[in-house]
Amino acid sequence: MAEAVESPGDPGTTTPRPLMRDLKAVGKKFMHVLYPRKSNTLLRDWDLWGPLILCVTLALMLQRGSVDSEKDGGPQFAEVFVIVWFGAVTITLNSKLLGGNISFFQSLCVLGYCILPLTMALLVCRLVLLAEPGPINFMVRLFVVIIMFAWSIVASTAFLADSQPPNRKALAVYPVFLFYFVISWMILTFTPQ
Amino acid sequence: EPTSPARDCALGPARPSPTGDQQGGCTGGSGSDPHSRRPRVPAAARQASQPFRSERCSRRRGCGLQALVDDTEDVSLDFGNEEELAFRKAKIRHPVATFFHLFFRVSAIVTYVGCDWFSKSFVGCFVTVLLLLSFDFWSVKNVTGRLMVGLRWWNQIDEDGKSHWIFEARKVSPDMVAATEAEARVFWLGLIICPMIWIVFFFSSLFSLKLKWLALVIAGISLQAANLYGYVLCKMGGESDVSKITASFLSQTVFQTACPSDFQKPGLEGLEIHKH
Repeated sequence: MAEAVESPGDPGTTTPRPLMRDLKAVGKKFMHVLYPRKSNTLLRDWDLWGPLILCVTLALMLQRGSVDSEKDGGPQFAEVFVIVWFGAVTITLNSKLLGGNISFFQSLCVLGYCILPLTMALLVCRLVLLAEPGPINFMVRLFVVIIMFAWSIVASTAFLADSQPPNRKALAVYPVFLFYFVISWMILTFTPQ
Repeated sequence: EPTSPARDCALGPARPSPTGDQQGGCTGGSGSDPHSRRPRVPAAARQASQPFRSERCSRRRGCGLQALVDDTEDVSLDFGNEEELAFRKAKIRHPVATFFHLFFRVSAIVTYVGCDWFSKSFVGCFVTVLLLLSFDFWSVKNVTGRLMVGLRWWNQIDEDGKSHWIFEARKVSPDMVAATEAEARVFWLGLIICPMIWIVFFFSSLFSLKLKWLALVIAGISLQAANLYGYVLCKMGGESDVSKITASFLSQTVFQTACPSDFQKPGLEGLEIHKH
C-alpha cells in the first residue's frame, strides 16, 4: 500500500507508520469518490483497503439466506470477490495495453473505490426490499441503481480518462462501463429468499 | 572526562536480561555524570524505543533518566546508563511487535484449518481469515519490519505519475539500537514459513476440489508473498555488507573490553553493530 508521505532519504528513522494516518487516508478517498473533483488524491497515494472493505461489504450483503448450511451463500460470496477483483485486474490490463500511463495498483485503487456508490445502492435496495414486493418496489430500486451506476461511471472516468491517449478514451472507458453494469445487475436482481 | 563506574556495566560480560524488561537488568554502579559530553538525539528518534519512567530512577542507578523523560526537547542518550544498556542487551527488544508479527499470521492459518470445527459458516470463516490476513499485512509492512529488523518498503508516485518502489534498510548509527538476532530470526522465519504453508493450502484445495476456498487462499498467498518479496528486496540492498557485519561485530567486542574511555567519543565507531 502506498505512502506518499513517507520520509524518504532518512532511513535512520524507522518508526512504525501510524494507523490513524492510513485510516484517514481511506476516509478521504471515500469522500473524493462521493464528490468527484479534479484532484489527484485517489491516484497519488493509492491504497487497496477501501476496495477490500467495499468488496467484503458487497459480498456479505449479496448473500442469499439459505436453509441448507452446505451452500450457505458460499458460491455467491466467493463469486462477488472473483468478479470484482478479476474484473478490476482485467480492466487495468486493458488500459495498460492501450497505452495508458497509470500504474497497476492506481487503477485497481480507483476502480475499487468507485464501487462505493453501488454499495450504497445495495444498502438502499435491501431496505426497500423490506417493504412489500411489487412493480413500485422494482421501479424504485431500478431508479436508485441507475443513478448510482451513473455516479460510479462518472467518478471513475474522472480519474481514469486522463491517463489515456485521447483517441483511446472510449476504448478504455467501455470495460469500466461493463464492469459496473455487471455489479449493478447483481444488485438489481438480488432478492433475499 | 570522569570515568563513571557505570561504564563497568557495559564492559562486563553480557548479562542475560529478562525478556521484555527494558528497565531492569543492570545492577550496581552509581549515577553517571550528566554533564559529560554525549551525543544528543532528537526526541522523535527515540519513539522507537520504550520511554523510561522517572519514578524508577534513583540516585544510585543513574539519574540521567530525568532528562530522558522530557519528550518535547532534545534528549541526551547516556550510554553508560544501565537501563539503556539493558535494553540493548535484551534478546527481544520489542516483545509486543514480535508477538503481533506472529499472532496474525498463525491465527489466520489456524482459523483456515480449523474452520470446520469453529463454525459451519463459510462466509464467517472467509471474512475472519481475510481480516486476519489484512491486519497481518499491514502490521508486518508498517510496524514489525521497521521495529524488528529496521527495513521498510513502500510505493511512491511522483509528479509525473510514475510509480517508484522504494526499499530501505536502516543505517545503524550509534544513536539507534540495531536488530537483535532473536528478533531477526523470528521475523524472517515467520515471513518465510507462512507463505509456504499457504501454498500447500492452495494445492490441497485445488486437488480436493474445494474451489470456493481458492479465492481466499490466493488472497493469502498474494498478501504474504508481497511482504516477503518487499523485505527480501530491502535486505538485498545491503547484501554486500555481510562481511562488514562480521567485522564490525568483532571489533565491537574488542572495543568493549579494551577501551572504556572510547565510549565518550562523539563518533562512537566502536558501537556500529549489525550494519545491514
